[in-house]
Amino acid sequence: MQTIITFFKTIFLVDLLKGLWLTLKYTPQPAFTFQYPAERRPTAPRFRGVLRLQTEPGTGAQTCIVCDQCAKACPDDLIALGGHREPGQKIKVLDYFDFNLSRCSFCGLCAEVCPTKPIKALIMSEDYELGSYSRDTQILRVDEMYDGVPIEQYTH
Amino acid sequence: MGLIDHRFEDNFITTSIDRVLNWARESSIWPMGFGLACCAIEMMAASASRYDIARFGAEVFRASPRQSDLMIVAGTVTKKMAPVLRRLYDQMPEPKWVISMGSCSNAGGPFPTYSVLQGVDKVVPVDVYVSGCPPRPEALLYGLMRLQDKIRKEGTVLRKERVIMSGDTEPTLDGSA
Repeated sequence: MQTIITFFKTIFLVDLLKGLWLTLKYTPQPAFTFQYPAERRPTAPRFRGVLRLQTEPGTGAQTCIVCDQCAKACPDDLIALGGHREPGQKIKVLDYFDFNLSRCSFCGLCAEVCPTKPIKALIMSEDYELGSYSRDTQILRVDEMYDGVPIEQYTH
Repeated sequence: MGLIDHRFEDNFITTSIDRVLNWARESSIWPMGFGLACCAIEMMAASASRYDIARFGAEVFRASPRQSDLMIVAGTVTKKMAPVLRRLYDQMPEPKWVISMGSCSNAGGPFPTYSVLQGVDKVVPVDVYVSGCPPRPEALLYGLMRLQDKIRKEGTVLRKERVIMSGDTEPTLDGSA
């Protein structure tokens, strides 16, 4: 009996048709793919992208108070910053803020300890498009820390 | 490439051939599956249907270095693995490119230890560094697009020299610049 069933199954290609039916069921579904360079998926709220310095929204004034806490908090010593005191001004003026992106593990400890209120001077931004041709460009200077790493568009 | 390397000047014929060959090369970069750590998971995600690296012609992850054009070094390269990586790179046929994916292979990442190679560019010449820990699949696709840009500008006959980083040329944080 079993042999006869197997014989007819083989004759009428039952297993093959089963597989084809499964494929056919998935065919009319819309495509699952994100067309990445054209559409950019919104990141999760707690996503940690590349480090970014913030200015005050209205005035564009410096919010960083050069307290050096982020440099101390960094487990890999990737941040070096310094400033000087202007006579008459209350906060220090930020001279340089160097950030070694190449080693960064995006742990977010530096942004967590940043004490400035209400606008945090140092945040983890939503930028993740980080591709560079050399190691030198992976050390971000202060203007890249403010404006973000420039993103090149796909020109294909 | 060995026969015609450095034989011709730039002229009309070679630049036109360059354009065609570069178009062919950039449109079918076959990577070698070289996942070493957690970055490999993101590399697999980039090749799966959600992000679909096949849209850039780079879906065929070859198991053999002889059939691949691109080595995506995804993960921590230990000093024990470094000679193997170099051998695999040497076994790849010209033209070949390397993407260093993630902080570990870029610069050693959070492991400044005796056992971890401080940057894969000490062993093989890297074309594109993708930062992240690990980089999102989109970031890898972005790195691949940067590599395509680079290939498009590359000369086929006159290829540039490849640079291997040494300890002296490695950029460090030294305060103000």
